[in-house]
Amino acid sequence: MEPIDSPSRPCSSRYSRAVAGALLFLAGTSAVVICRSSSAQEPPQPASGVHEIVIGGERQRFALPACVPRHNDEATIAACRTISEVLRKDLQFEGIFQFVPDTLLKAVPQLNPDSPRFDDWKAIDAQILVTLAADVSGGNTSVSLRLFYVDTGQSMLAKQYTGKADNPRIFAHQAADEILTKVQYRGIARTKLVFTSDRDAVKGKATKELYIVDYDGYNPRRVTVNRNLNILPAWSPDGRDIVYVSYRGGIPELFLAWIYEGRSQNFSGQAFSPAFSPDGKRIAFASSRSGNMEIWTANSDGSGTRRLTSSTALDTAPCWSPTGQEIAFTSDRSGTPQIWVMDSEGLNVRRLTTVGDYNDGAAWSPSKEHPEVAYTSRIEGHFQVAVVDLATHQVRQVTDAGGSCESPGWAPSGRHLVFSCTRGGRWQIVTADREGRRAQTLDVGPGNNAQPDWGPWPTP
Amino acid sequence: MRTKHSLWPLVGAVAALAVLASVGCGPKRPPAVVTGGTGATAARAGATPGDSETPEPPFAGAEIQPIKDETANRDDLGNVATGDEASPLADIYFEFDQSSLTDAARAVLVRHAAWLAAHPDARVVVEGHCDERGTVEYNLALGDKRAQATREQLIALGVAAARLRTASLGKERPIATGHDEAAWARNRRAHFAVSR
Repeated sequence: MEPIDSPSRPCSSRYSRAVAGALLFLAGTSAVVICRSSSAQEPPQPASGVHEIVIGGERQRFALPACVPRHNDEATIAACRTISEVLRKDLQFEGIFQFVPDTLLKAVPQLNPDSPRFDDWKAIDAQILVTLAADVSGGNTSVSLRLFYVDTGQSMLAKQYTGKADNPRIFAHQAADEILTKVQYRGIARTKLVFTSDRDAVKGKATKELYIVDYDGYNPRRVTVNRNLNILPAWSPDGRDIVYVSYRGGIPELFLAWIYEGRSQNFSGQAFSPAFSPDGKRIAFASSRSGNMEIWTANSDGSGTRRLTSSTALDTAPCWSPTGQEIAFTSDRSGTPQIWVMDSEGLNVRRLTTVGDYNDGAAWSPSKEHPEVAYTSRIEGHFQVAVVDLATHQVRQVTDAGGSCESPGWAPSGRHLVFSCTRGGRWQIVTADREGRRAQTLDVGPGNNAQPDWGPWPTP
Repeated sequence: MRTKHSLWPLVGAVAALAVLASVGCGPKRPPAVVTGGTGATAARAGATPGDSETPEPPFAGAEIQPIKDETANRDDLGNVATGDEASPLADIYFEFDQSSLTDAARAVLVRHAAWLAAHPDARVVVEGHCDERGTVEYNLALGDKRAQATREQLIALGVAAARLRTASLGKERPIATGHDEAAWARNRRAHFAVSR
């Protein structure tokens, strides 16, 4: 039984960790053959040390032929089509594989998903073959996933999933995460995003409600229903709760939503910008209850409130380091808003950002390999997402939109960011990798959608 | 920490060994099938995809539920919850990125203090608002400073502190939705939500 990762969604997520004993793909056809027990070998390095699956100098070429319907009924064919499309997008999202082009896939004769003819796939230079087959009957969907190493016909993975037929995407997400496990990655296909949206506002009454979507923007679900302002949501490390700011009591206060139970509770006085500690035991927030905006922490049940900062400047937007030992926050004590770091007891305060005259909204990467902090920075009159490397203090700009982008949050892998940008005249949710590549505007629904937070790994 | 380049010889070797171990160095054995639950793997030669799993939401049987117990909504109290309803007290305005009171704002607050003296039952939530330029969090902090500065001035003018609460709305609820200086100027304000 694999233990659950120590929950450390700091400003946005948790560590990636290698799955013990996971197999690796074998690439080279001419690999030197040594017959020895693999158990005597040093365990493979954690996933966080792996960036691209490059063996023998090339990315693995995946053949991902269309899912094969077990029956020729409409429901099965439709589910099959969805599962194929979603699995492909999930795998492409990581940016670590090459795919055999569709034109070549079409050249392959009829596929038997359970027993493929590997010569067909060798002929189009595929290295890894993924077969899918689906069957929808009696309100249930059953999906078979198989993964083969084409050269040897070695089966790497064989799974059958059965579940309700209403959302075939979930099968593809599960399959994607399992395939990634085989290359020592921890996939994020089953993670979720929370954000605030004004889509329910009626004329003369500007309201914002919280919504949750899958990581790819699909499957929206409404969380709050109070026709008021509900903003700045942040996930708990176990993914069961969301802490947020609601004005439903007249002033901004923290609420905790138990999202699988459909209830919430006010647990603090006036507060902004909540963030769970990586162990889920404490919540950092900003409050001016003492007269000036300062950083505070409290236990996650609202008890044990403590003030960490004490300056005449504005201190706000706290976020935790992945170890929980430090807190990054925004302060204008130097004259302009900048990101500062202190230890989680409030001592040892030092300035982190030195480039630019307006930096805010820090989000600490959960990655061990790339210790870095994302934030919003005013660059040439626009707000953009930037990342500062904690070792070198080098800054890189992640977004370059015509409008503004802000509110970055990290995927639990630390390989991707989510943020909101003004696109097409409204705020929209955007994901990109940590370098800003492959930015995608998610279709999460109408209205202005902003302040996203990327949820933790799904619980196994 | 290894670099990705120095890692690859090791990865290749481990991969080769893993595969060879599972096929036992025999050239024509049936391919092993890796099966198992999430997080655990086990090799079983010749297995078929009969390892059944039900993809579930993260917590068995649970779906995300809308919160239905939100009866504490105070729309009916006529305070901040309803937005920009008419107030007997006019808004005051601020300079860009400033929370200090202008002379014009101070003059308005003198009249507000007089009105509050004449209406001793009235209680006020002083809302601080900002224009859309700037980040969510910094604007919430700035709106808070505006609300606090306004409240302090009303207290200095004789209004009982207990009658005055503050709420920053940052850039979350602009009264003017345009994206020009005229709209921004209208949004840099303190609003007075009065309940009686």
